[in-house]
Amino acid sequence: MGKEGEAKKMTLLERRLRRRQLLRAGAAAAGALLLPGRAPAQGGAKPLSGTTLNIACWSSPYAKLLTDYVPQFEEATGAKVNYETPSFPIYNQRIDVELSTGGSSYDVLNVTFIYIGRWIGAGWFVPLDPYLKDPQKTPADWEPGDFLPGATAAFKDPSGRLYAIPWTADIYMAGAARYDLFEKSGKTMPDTFDGVADAMKAVHMKDGIPAFLPENHYGWSFIPWLQGFGGNVFRDPPEDLTPVLDTPEAIAAADFFAKLLRDYGPDGVISYTYDQVVATLKAGRANYSPNGQIFLVQLGAKDSKVAGTCNFSMCPAGPKGRFPGVATHGWGIPAGSNNKDAAWQFITWAMSKPIIRQMVVERGYSSITRRSLIDSPEFKGKLTVNGHDIVKIYLDTIALGAQGYMKYRTIYVYPQVDKQIDIAIQNIASGQLSATAAMTQAQQDSLAELKRAGIKL
Amino acid sequence: MLAVQPSSIKRAAENRRPARTALPNWRREQRRAFTFGLLPALLVLVAITLGPTIYLIVTSLTPLDPVHPHSAADFSDPIGNYRALMADRRFLNSLEVQLKLSAATVVLQLAVGLGVALLLNAGSRFLEAVRTAFILPMVLPPIVVAVVWKVIFTPDVSPMHRALTAIGLPVHSLIANPDTALGAIAVADTWEWFPFTMLMVLASLQMIPAEPIDAARIDGAGRLALFRYILFPYIRPTLVVAGLFRLIDSIKAFPLIYVLTNGGPGTATEVTNYYAFVESFNFSYWGYGSAIATLMVAGVLLLSWFIGRLGVEAERDD
Repeated sequence: MGKEGEAKKMTLLERRLRRRQLLRAGAAAAGALLLPGRAPAQGGAKPLSGTTLNIACWSSPYAKLLTDYVPQFEEATGAKVNYETPSFPIYNQRIDVELSTGGSSYDVLNVTFIYIGRWIGAGWFVPLDPYLKDPQKTPADWEPGDFLPGATAAFKDPSGRLYAIPWTADIYMAGAARYDLFEKSGKTMPDTFDGVADAMKAVHMKDGIPAFLPENHYGWSFIPWLQGFGGNVFRDPPEDLTPVLDTPEAIAAADFFAKLLRDYGPDGVISYTYDQVVATLKAGRANYSPNGQIFLVQLGAKDSKVAGTCNFSMCPAGPKGRFPGVATHGWGIPAGSNNKDAAWQFITWAMSKPIIRQMVVERGYSSITRRSLIDSPEFKGKLTVNGHDIVKIYLDTIALGAQGYMKYRTIYVYPQVDKQIDIAIQNIASGQLSATAAMTQAQQDSLAELKRAGIKL
Repeated sequence: MLAVQPSSIKRAAENRRPARTALPNWRREQRRAFTFGLLPALLVLVAITLGPTIYLIVTSLTPLDPVHPHSAADFSDPIGNYRALMADRRFLNSLEVQLKLSAATVVLQLAVGLGVALLLNAGSRFLEAVRTAFILPMVLPPIVVAVVWKVIFTPDVSPMHRALTAIGLPVHSLIANPDTALGAIAVADTWEWFPFTMLMVLASLQMIPAEPIDAARIDGAGRLALFRYILFPYIRPTLVVAGLFRLIDSIKAFPLIYVLTNGGPGTATEVTNYYAFVESFNFSYWGYGSAIATLMVAGVLLLSWFIGRLGVEAERDD
């Protein structure tokens, strides 16, 4: 007991020391990076003393990691940061109301991928170009050109002005928590939709583990299957926003996907949110999941029970090709902010090379957007999980995303259609409606919602 | 048959009505003082209760969407939202779901609350402690209740599902099954709110004088007869009031639905206020959402009036 207590004390002491060292190093890095020509004055005065920044992002792994680094910024600048990370739907609803009412409660906000068209289109964020072009506000070695062009492109308006700095380029891929069960059944990571169906049949309930578990946000997790069957959400976004959810291709895709859920998912599969999916996979209570890379890499985390059995692959291909989702989120400054310059300082700090590198090295942050860091040995090392190279999957998927099939997602009325897709897949998987009836209903309801939005089809 | 002259009726009425001039000065001053004293509070009350309601109704006459701020003053088709609602399948479905949920929760909460109150209606320290324990669900934050039931209803981690499986009665996920999802929410809601009925009924039971109960017992009344002829008539108005409160509250059910089912599977648990929330805050159709909310307010007012009448009539019968 005494030894245990001592060991605990030591661990705490070590942790505190590491934390202090980290804070000191980070503060020095941030101070040097942040304030070109505005280094902290002699005598301890800090440039943002007395400034309070209110910052929010949805509870992504990155946003939660950043919580531990924010004190570095506060230490370096003297600013007080109120930082919050509610869940994805709560964040979007709260911020949508905040932005639409011209509120000034926040200084830095995440620009959510599916709200890009709406939030930027409505002028609720300020363009960042004036900050980027001002050497007093953005040091030369910050290198805005280092960010993946595909990620930054999503945050530009038609005239090319940039409204957010991307902190993630999340890709849709596939992971198996218990790949050993695949091997025992003579299966490999499936590369096609048929291969998935075949493998799920083979591994389902092996060791009592259900085979298939995507997150229940089907407006994200189902779309690669929809497009893989040759379907789409809109006819030709952004020019023609007519929903096309009741085409034979869309119905076949929904039927196929819902059958996987029904036949190989855990009990209550349609109630699993993204955080539940990650926890279930890490605990080894479900096996294969097509999902975002930021979630799947956590299978290799220290607290994961499947770190030694997991495997990964690209999103499987359908009869019409491979269409893995590519999503990006970025830091922006809301138009109502009263501390825009300080907000920009926070963004430049949070997206600086030293801080991102620190997050990669220390915490294994895996969804970065700076090309120089993606090519770095540190990143490649961290993204080799259980001996499997995720960097290649990452880069190959981002390259695929550049083909333009993700255009549907930044349409400002996509959230309306997204909800209809959720409902349709739930209706099919829970046996309430056939695929044809559910997708026809989704089509009609989407048309009604778009009409309500004033879109003429 | 006697013919009654209208003029004689008028005279009689005038005689009954106290003459204004009959009021002494000090009384008039007192009234004026009360009026001026209460006026500021009344004005504030009107401003914070009626103001938002009026704004809600006005907004419901517009296609307000914050992306297009000018739509706040667009009254070109004032009943457009209401017309669209009448043809909106999801809205009509949400009304049906709301009716089912309200009926189930009110009946269950009255039955369980009444039953537990009858069991606990005795003077003992043990029962007092039990009463306190029963009140706990009601005082927990609703979101905590929702999280507790999310765990209970998630087969993967649920102690309830494990226990049922252990005794050979495995049950599939209740919240992912459209046939049981609404029932699961009703059970969770009942767990949270039956203490309200229980407390009200207990208070009412403890107000009943001992004489009629003793007299009935002497006359040989059994427990059932005692309840039917003595206790129930006493507590009936309380049950009506409790039912009214629970009915109105059931229309506000939100955290349980948000956390447990998100309105699903499909739209199986999408009640009207949840649908209003989706339209208003997921899609930002504030005008449309306001129209749904306005209809809900009207419905609740109508219900309150109707059940209030029932209560008055019940008391008059007594």
